Amino acid sequence: MAANANPVRDDQAAAATNRQPGRTGTRWEWFLWPAVLISFMLLVFPQANFIWLSLHADLGLGQVSDALTGENYLRLLTDPFYLNAFWLTLYLSVATAAFGLLVGFPAAYALARIGGWTASLLLSLILTTSLITVVVKLIGLNIILGASGLINQIVLGLSLSNSPIQMINNEFGVFIGLVQYTLPLMIVLLFGVVQTIPVSLEEAATILGATRAATYWQVILPNARAGLLSSGLIAFNMSMGAFTSAVLLGGGRVRTVPVLIQQTIIQETKYGEGAALSTTLVGLAFLINVAVIAYLFAGGRQRVGQRAD
Amino acid sequence: MRTERDWTGRAVSKTILCAVVVFLLAPFIVVVGASFDSATEYHVTFPPRGFSLAGYETIPFKYALAGGISLIVAVAVAIVSTLIGLCAALGLVRGNVIGREVFQSFFRLPVQIPFVVTGAVFLQFYYQLDAATGVNLLNGFLGLIVAHIFVAVPYSIGAIASVLTRFNPALEEAAQSLGATGWATFWQVTFPFIRPGVMAGMFYAFIVSFGDIPVALFLVSGERTTLPVEIFQDMQFDFRPSILAVSTLIAVLSLIAIVGVQRLLGFDMIVPAQKR
Repeated sequence: MAANANPVRDDQAAAATNRQPGRTGTRWEWFLWPAVLISFMLLVFPQANFIWLSLHADLGLGQVSDALTGENYLRLLTDPFYLNAFWLTLYLSVATAAFGLLVGFPAAYALARIGGWTASLLLSLILTTSLITVVVKLIGLNIILGASGLINQIVLGLSLSNSPIQMINNEFGVFIGLVQYTLPLMIVLLFGVVQTIPVSLEEAATILGATRAATYWQVILPNARAGLLSSGLIAFNMSMGAFTSAVLLGGGRVRTVPVLIQQTIIQETKYGEGAALSTTLVGLAFLINVAVIAYLFAGGRQRVGQRAD
Repeated sequence: MRTERDWTGRAVSKTILCAVVVFLLAPFIVVVGASFDSATEYHVTFPPRGFSLAGYETIPFKYALAGGISLIVAVAVAIVSTLIGLCAALGLVRGNVIGREVFQSFFRLPVQIPFVVTGAVFLQFYYQLDAATGVNLLNGFLGLIVAHIFVAVPYSIGAIASVLTRFNPALEEAAQSLGATGWATFWQVTFPFIRPGVMAGMFYAFIVSFGDIPVALFLVSGERTTLPVEIFQDMQFDFRPSILAVSTLIAVLSLIAIVGVQRLLGFDMIVPAQKR
């Protein structure tokens, strides 16, 4: 533990000296303001314009009303079509994050404990799959999961089914696409989490007579709790906004909110409604993030309290 | 007894790891394999039924054009967002800033907004800008570059700041006490130390721009567009074997570039740390 803590403390010490003003006479904070100004302009003006737009009714052909109205938001909250879209997006994202944690954590754990060049090689392979533009991956998935694809050839060849199993152009296909999209980053993040859990902790548990399963559930997972939740949250956020996977593996039949946003604005030119959809999606994701982080902090304090008892 | 339990416990997680690696690599292997298929019909099969380079010979010129556009856009985005990121990171890490955490959260906001929404937001903003000032960012690719910079800056800041926090200012003091000027100190002491972070930031900004589909789908209309969008459109409406050939070329070139960057910067530099 002590060996692990030292570099962190050095980092913090270096950072603290970093922040002492005027030691070399350079006013570094002046560098901040151009970046703040540019980022502020790129964030605030477009977003404000967009939210303002969501408060206007669509008149067709890209025209919006002059009068302010909340009808776009009211429609999202009452029309079953939109409610279904939000529900679909939400449960696909939760399923993706949950499945990602379920397979991603053991994989990251194995990677961290194997160590050495094997782990580095595998980790960089995994990372590389997420750095290549997602469209290549989706074409591959279409070939694997399609009606005449690799899996169906095996299924039909072994006579497991009389007809090809439908795995794309439905929610299952989108789910697989989302897992492919989020899993590499999740594993990289979880790998970092596992690395902060000292092996000596596991050894101590084993010496005290804990089985591997008990060590996993009572030592490793509780220590990784914050990392698990934050990685899960990142996968959830990525899935909530995922557009390309939903289109190419949903075949236009799986209408998640990001797909609807693009259709509403580009195809139907209903700008007000598209803006309201977008604002609601971002707001919903934000609220869920706040709730999970609040839960994380509350739970953390409770656990510390229990330990003190 | 203990070794036996160890073995089964580790075996489960190792099996999952193998399955995950196969699962993640499979789409690329299938695309590369199918691109050499001799079939000419409009659906593809894997494993290939015969070897052929037909897919490569029939690559339409529009893909090369789109690839060039993507490259120019991504390079412009990488340079500008790295400059902004360098300024922000220097100010955040070295500066005497009140409310540092507020600024950090502020700079991270673009990552929280889905790409589709960013595309829609900038499309509407450019309409308004055109109506109000006559500046039309929807002609050409300047509008796309600006929107990509918005998305890429947080990645540049993260990469540079994580290296900058490890820099020891005593080195600067040493340089200055030996008579170096402020600029000389920065370029000869500070910058060489943070250069890997700057390059990693540039690399990530490039990747964000080059891989994007949703933002470009909103902001670039008409005949000419970026390579991923071109493939995305053809994938939906006009599938042909040359798409597989182009995808294979993208995957192979990306792999070479990523391996090159890893060699140059070290693997740790391009692994996203949690604090980013």
